[in-house]
Amino acid sequence: MKDNVISETDVTTDKIKIAARDVQVYYGDNHAIKDVSVDIQDKTVTAFIGPSGCGKSTFLRCINRMNDTIDICRVQGDILIDGEDIYDSKVDPVQLRAKVGMVFQKPNPFPKSIYDNVAYGPRIHGLARNKAELDDIVERALKRGAIWNEVKDRLHAPGTGLSGGQQQRLCIARAVATEPEVLLMDEPCSALDPIATAQVEELIDELRQSYAVVIVTHSMQQAARVSQKTAFFHLGHLVEYGETDKIFTAPEDPRTESYITGRIG
Amino acid sequence: MGNFLNVAPTTLLVIGVLMLTALAYVTARRRAMTAAGGDARKLHSLPGYYGYNAAMLTAIPAFFVLVIWLLVQPMLIQNAVIEMIPQDAISDGSSVNLVMSDVRRVANGLTTAVDAGALSADAARDISVTDTDVRGLLADNGVALGSDVNADVLAAAQRYRSMQTTGQWLMIAVIAAVALGGAFVALRATTVDFRARNMVERFVLGLLMIAASLAILTTVGIVFSMLFESINFFKLHPWQDFFLGDTWAPNFRGDSDLSILPLLWGTLYISIIALFVAVPIGLFAAIYLSEYANNKVRALAKPLLEILAGIPTIVYGLFALLTVGPFLVDLFGRGEDGILGVDWMSGATSVLTAGLVMGIMLIPFVSSLSDDIINAVPQSMRDGSFGLGATHSETIRQVVLPAALPGIVGAILLAASRAIGETMIVVLGAGAIARISPNPLEAMTTITTRIVSQLTGDTDFASPETLVAFALGLTLFVLTLGLNVLALYIVRKYREQYE
Repeated sequence: MKDNVISETDVTTDKIKIAARDVQVYYGDNHAIKDVSVDIQDKTVTAFIGPSGCGKSTFLRCINRMNDTIDICRVQGDILIDGEDIYDSKVDPVQLRAKVGMVFQKPNPFPKSIYDNVAYGPRIHGLARNKAELDDIVERALKRGAIWNEVKDRLHAPGTGLSGGQQQRLCIARAVATEPEVLLMDEPCSALDPIATAQVEELIDELRQSYAVVIVTHSMQQAARVSQKTAFFHLGHLVEYGETDKIFTAPEDPRTESYITGRIG
Repeated sequence: MGNFLNVAPTTLLVIGVLMLTALAYVTARRRAMTAAGGDARKLHSLPGYYGYNAAMLTAIPAFFVLVIWLLVQPMLIQNAVIEMIPQDAISDGSSVNLVMSDVRRVANGLTTAVDAGALSADAARDISVTDTDVRGLLADNGVALGSDVNADVLAAAQRYRSMQTTGQWLMIAVIAAVALGGAFVALRATTVDFRARNMVERFVLGLLMIAASLAILTTVGIVFSMLFESINFFKLHPWQDFFLGDTWAPNFRGDSDLSILPLLWGTLYISIIALFVAVPIGLFAAIYLSEYANNKVRALAKPLLEILAGIPTIVYGLFALLTVGPFLVDLFGRGEDGILGVDWMSGATSVLTAGLVMGIMLIPFVSSLSDDIINAVPQSMRDGSFGLGATHSETIRQVVLPAALPGIVGAILLAASRAIGETMIVVLGAGAIARISPNPLEAMTTITTRIVSQLTGDTDFASPETLVAFALGLTLFVLTLGLNVLALYIVRKYREQYE
């Protein structure tokens, strides 16, 4: 179940990238996240698992303040990235999101060409000084998204014409094109077939070299395959957080054990 | 009143068939239940379906025959009666149709007289002009005739009445037979295994198909009627002048200049001004409502905008004539007394007046279509853009609008085709002078207003001055049809690419 080779060779740093303290999230009157405190390490894949509606996606969306776009959502507590409180009034959520990239459940390429999809972020943030530099950024992002070889001959074809797995890798390339420091993935493989899933998982493992990756997943096998740290959420609480190995082999909390053995979910 | 007796038996017949239909429903239902031994589960379909099937078979053929009969009988009778009228009974300046309407009046008058008791049924059949003053008799019973009744007309009227009576009895017999036959067939078919449910399903399908084909056939009918009249027009007037000439000067003594170009110019000029008003305002309103407004504002603003769409266009026309026009004159006209101190505009009616008001009319049209289209852009697109650190307006400009563009272009073209076909605003706001001029402060006129003016008042449908209305209408139709087809094409082409 566990891919031991990767996790033990590459975890070299313990630097904490994201620190959350007593985070509460309310949707109107509904208390969706309760007292969540967690430290997420840099250059590590952290998996959030838990039954549907447990709050793992909601918590993920707090990390880049995507919840700000929902009117009725309120967030309390502190989330710090590199020691800086992202809910501070000085922080511009738009700038923050350039630093904290996000990949969504369903591949959502824009109705533009493959090139324009990837160039979207760099153009908005003015990352390229000229066309050649932009070409360079796009090529690097597509290579990092492990899709360059498949699309290099049709960069100006619409991104929506790709297959589902290719679209998702394009979205990952689009997210890394703005040079983020953290990559959030909300069930990135739930709309993909097993082959495309394997490709994306492989890619996630490579992305760990450069970013702190946080992935929400419903598949416990996937969490075990790609992550080094796992957090188990249940009914808005963070029940258990630790080394993926340990969570899956010797969970401390009985609820975690019930979930990974399939008794609750 | 003339058809009173004609209607009464028909009404009774309809009621009879309906009663028979209800009876067939109840009987078939009961028969199905009996056949199943009282256990509905043994039937192929629910018992009600057997009832519906029987009701359908009773009513539909009977009503079908009834409608055909009511259409055909008067024609047959007329043809039979017309032969009785000698050629010389048709006086000068009159026609067979006028004589036939005399015959019908006399026939109906006789019927009224019989009903009133002034005449016995036998007498009505046998009287002749030589020994009775038919005109006086009928006048006593409230049927006024223009002249004395001549012998041929009276005989024809009597023949008309007798044929009508015979036809009526025959009709009742035939329809009763058809209805009973239908009921009988349905009841015989009502067995445990009969697939009544499928029959009813097929009936529903047929009904829907008839509705769809009626809509299409009507369109085809309209096009053909326009086409034939236009052909008549082009037989009387050279097409070169119509399409290529530069003067519109209808003259009812003949020898008119009937050229579409000045009208087309006015139409397009006003439409373009209207679109310049409606597209930005409508589109921005749609963007605000669908992207920025909260639920409370949207719940209030959307219905308010749609009220604009519910205002009759004649009211917009009044607004143009009484409010916008005079305001524009204050602004651009009156020389020293005006607001700008210039004298560019003399009358309230102008291209600008009509264009502005028509633009206001089109705002809700553009905004509500665009609003629907913008809302249809999946939220995941916006999330993707926000997730990359784009602001709200960047997201709208670079992701939402490009995704919605084909739909928005479609909406604009639909608005354009409405602008081109709009009538009342331009009748009141644009003026009546046909000319080709670039000055928007001058009065001009449009295709639709000229159709109205060519067809109102005393018209002679054999002169090119009247028939030109059909050629104008056909051109307008082709224009708007072309725009609609283009709109649909654009929407479809880009939808394939992006979904």
